[in-house]
Amino acid sequence: MLAPLRGVPRARAGRAVTQGLFDAFYLPPNVEREAETTVQRFGPAHDSIELRLATVTPASIVTWIDALVAAREELLARKPAAEIHRVLERVAMRFLYPESPARRNAIAWLARLGRFSEPMIERALEDTFRPLTAGGVARWVASELGSAAVLDAPSVDRRGVPRRASGPEWMLQIYAGNVPGLPVWPLYSALAMKTAVLAKTSSQEPVLAPLLARTIAEEDSDLGACMAIVWWKGGTDELDLTAIRDAPAVLAFGGELATERIAREAHPEARVVLHGPKVSVAYVSGASLTRSALGSLAARAAHDVALYDQQGCLSPHAIYVERGGEIGPAAFASALGSALEELRDGLPRRALEPEQAARVQLYRAQAHFEEAQEKRGTRVLASSEGTDWTLIYEDGARFEPTPAYRTVRVHAVSGADEVVEALTPAARYIEAIGLEAKGSEKRVLAAAFSGTGVPRIAALGSLQSPALSGTHGGVHRLLPFLRWTTVEMGASKRAGPPRPPAKTRRPSGKKGKRS
Amino acid sequence: MRDLVRFIEEVRWEDRDTGADEVFAETALHSFRSQCEAIPAYGAYARHVGRGPEEVRDWRDIPPAPASAFRSHELSEVPAGEETVTFETSGTTISRPGRVRLRSTRLYEASLSRNFARHLLPDGARLHAIVFGPTREEAPHSSLWFMVDSLVRGLCSGGTWVVERDEPRWERADQELKRAAAEKRPVLLLGTTLLFHAYFARCDREGIRFALPARSRAMDTGGAKGTRVDVRREEVQSAFGRVLAIPPSHLVNEYGMAEMGSQFYEDSELAAQERRPARAGFLIPPWVRTRVLDPETLRERRDGEAGLLVHYDLANLEVPLAIQTEDVGSRVRGRLTLSGRLPDAERRGCSLPFEEFLERERAEP
Repeated sequence: MLAPLRGVPRARAGRAVTQGLFDAFYLPPNVEREAETTVQRFGPAHDSIELRLATVTPASIVTWIDALVAAREELLARKPAAEIHRVLERVAMRFLYPESPARRNAIAWLARLGRFSEPMIERALEDTFRPLTAGGVARWVASELGSAAVLDAPSVDRRGVPRRASGPEWMLQIYAGNVPGLPVWPLYSALAMKTAVLAKTSSQEPVLAPLLARTIAEEDSDLGACMAIVWWKGGTDELDLTAIRDAPAVLAFGGELATERIAREAHPEARVVLHGPKVSVAYVSGASLTRSALGSLAARAAHDVALYDQQGCLSPHAIYVERGGEIGPAAFASALGSALEELRDGLPRRALEPEQAARVQLYRAQAHFEEAQEKRGTRVLASSEGTDWTLIYEDGARFEPTPAYRTVRVHAVSGADEVVEALTPAARYIEAIGLEAKGSEKRVLAAAFSGTGVPRIAALGSLQSPALSGTHGGVHRLLPFLRWTTVEMGASKRAGPPRPPAKTRRPSGKKGKRS
Repeated sequence: MRDLVRFIEEVRWEDRDTGADEVFAETALHSFRSQCEAIPAYGAYARHVGRGPEEVRDWRDIPPAPASAFRSHELSEVPAGEETVTFETSGTTISRPGRVRLRSTRLYEASLSRNFARHLLPDGARLHAIVFGPTREEAPHSSLWFMVDSLVRGLCSGGTWVVERDEPRWERADQELKRAAAEKRPVLLLGTTLLFHAYFARCDREGIRFALPARSRAMDTGGAKGTRVDVRREEVQSAFGRVLAIPPSHLVNEYGMAEMGSQFYEDSELAAQERRPARAGFLIPPWVRTRVLDPETLRERRDGEAGLLVHYDLANLEVPLAIQTEDVGSRVRGRLTLSGRLPDAERRGCSLPFEEFLERERAEP
């Protein structure tokens, strides 16, 4: 399994090398020279690929952290934030140019991992990187911090108080491999706030993060000195603990066991943000179910279901459809089925492992069993062949995640109240509610669903394209990690006993509520 | 019922795939037809999928009940209140625990004792049993502990149970094992892989070892799927050797489920008795057929090809005999090899795996 590296072509970001051995790690050049590497096979036995990995030991983790912190102090801490953000935006562009080596490498190697079809990967790159181009990073930072300038020096906020934001010296990031593109905003968020990163990739997807880091390093060697992206087997105590214990900040994605463990082991003063397992749902109002809208509506819903083969936390597992529209919920289900059938070619699903397909088949058989009982109006629609998609229609709202891989439940409901009631006990497992509604009912429905505490409500069809300025898991991407320095030197006439809060000074009378 | 019991007790192991096929086919169809009538939910399903009693001529066409339907529906022909045992299912889909209610356990026990005796006691030994688990009284809804209880009463010279009130009492195991070693009296160990694993970890920590006499043997079950702790088979085997001096040739893994009256055993002990090398996999008893289906198309796969498993078990009379599982494996000449779990231990990402969700739902009543 392990073999030394000898003269094999290496996939580098600078040129497209889509065969041979892939460097599934990134270390700053001065650190990489000292690092030992091994070659390891990833993926199912019959179709594995060879990846070169950095050998990770507790000692090497400590060495890398020291090097990252030193480089950050020397190269990143005083670099103007706006300059960093422009670098990151240029890098994002490189993943969008069809002919760029970064993009070609990403597509080729992600495809070779076999977890998503090529059209899906291209779609993922587009959706992930497009919002980070052309001022996207700057807008994202401004949306959270007011202005990127606060990362460089104290800058006056809306209340006239000068303040400065500092990111942690370094941050531990632990990625999951369920959707392609997942590491991108986390890595960007760290660099955007001048924080060095030690990242652990997932064995499911150890490709994109190192490629991205390498591309960033080519664009700007200062940033390149502040990232280390490696893989080790999660659950390896000595490695996990070395990385977690002293990290001033941790951003991690993973299953409940893994995230609970991080929460236990992290330093008490560390800023820790953990994203555990979740799924999404959708709601379609009766008023929006018109004959003319049906085609587009079904296509958008199908797209949300099909994207990333339902592996993401933003993938809807259930669609609640209100009765009483021009089109009934059952007709919507049929249209959704046709749209999912079309996506078999348009956005193909990857081939499943036998265990995954067996689970879908059992779920289907169970649905047919319920259909046979004629109790809840259950109907099963499924792909013309194989397990490509499965739709289970039934009366009444309930929440039950499906085995994914394009398995979706459609529930006919009488209104939002019924759905809120069904979702409330499970709300902590729900990341987003896709909403299709018309005019003023949009606000009313959004208000009703916001009461469940679900972090995000978004239009159906764009469930999987969250705004960077929004939250992930209900938590902002930069703010939780920043430390603020406010300069309350004010004019001397303000010294003295504090005044009652009602008389707070607002420079322009704006009712800004930012804190 | 009497004919079925006799068939299970008398069918020759060698008869598999030959003469017994006819009897198997006839008996299976007979059971299926009566189950369609006596279990309304199952009958409705069979007719719904176009394979009701009127349509089915070949036992292979008997529609398997999804294992998950034991959770969602009543799948026993026994009227409420008339059951003598209720087994609860675990491990597969859909929220509440499934129930297998039986009025008579005769078939279950006939299958159990014949199969177990052949695979664990081929030398006819009557051994003292050490059970790494609770008594039947403490776990009244567990088919596994029912089975063990029945084995100890019927085929052993006595038993010691290590788990009491949900607590493993390791000192009991220590005591029994020590005595067996001192008296050079072979013993039979029965339990779950996970509990053995925990005991061995504790013995390793405390440096405890037992040199059990030859002919001691063990049956472990589970550990391969549905648990959060990954235990590799080689590790289990090596621990049995290290801690108890039981070699792999006397360690038999069992594969079973509450939804099925019959179980599957490795043939290691039998092979040792017959002085031949063990064959890989679990032996399918002659009153059971297992079909291996392509998980995408549900077409039958050839010998050696992996697919999802559908079992047809004549020991299931009061519940459907055909069960669709989500287990994946392959069959080679009457033996079953289970595939491992999903290849990636790290498969959980930020998306919620539904089985984990349901597992938690069950944990929080």
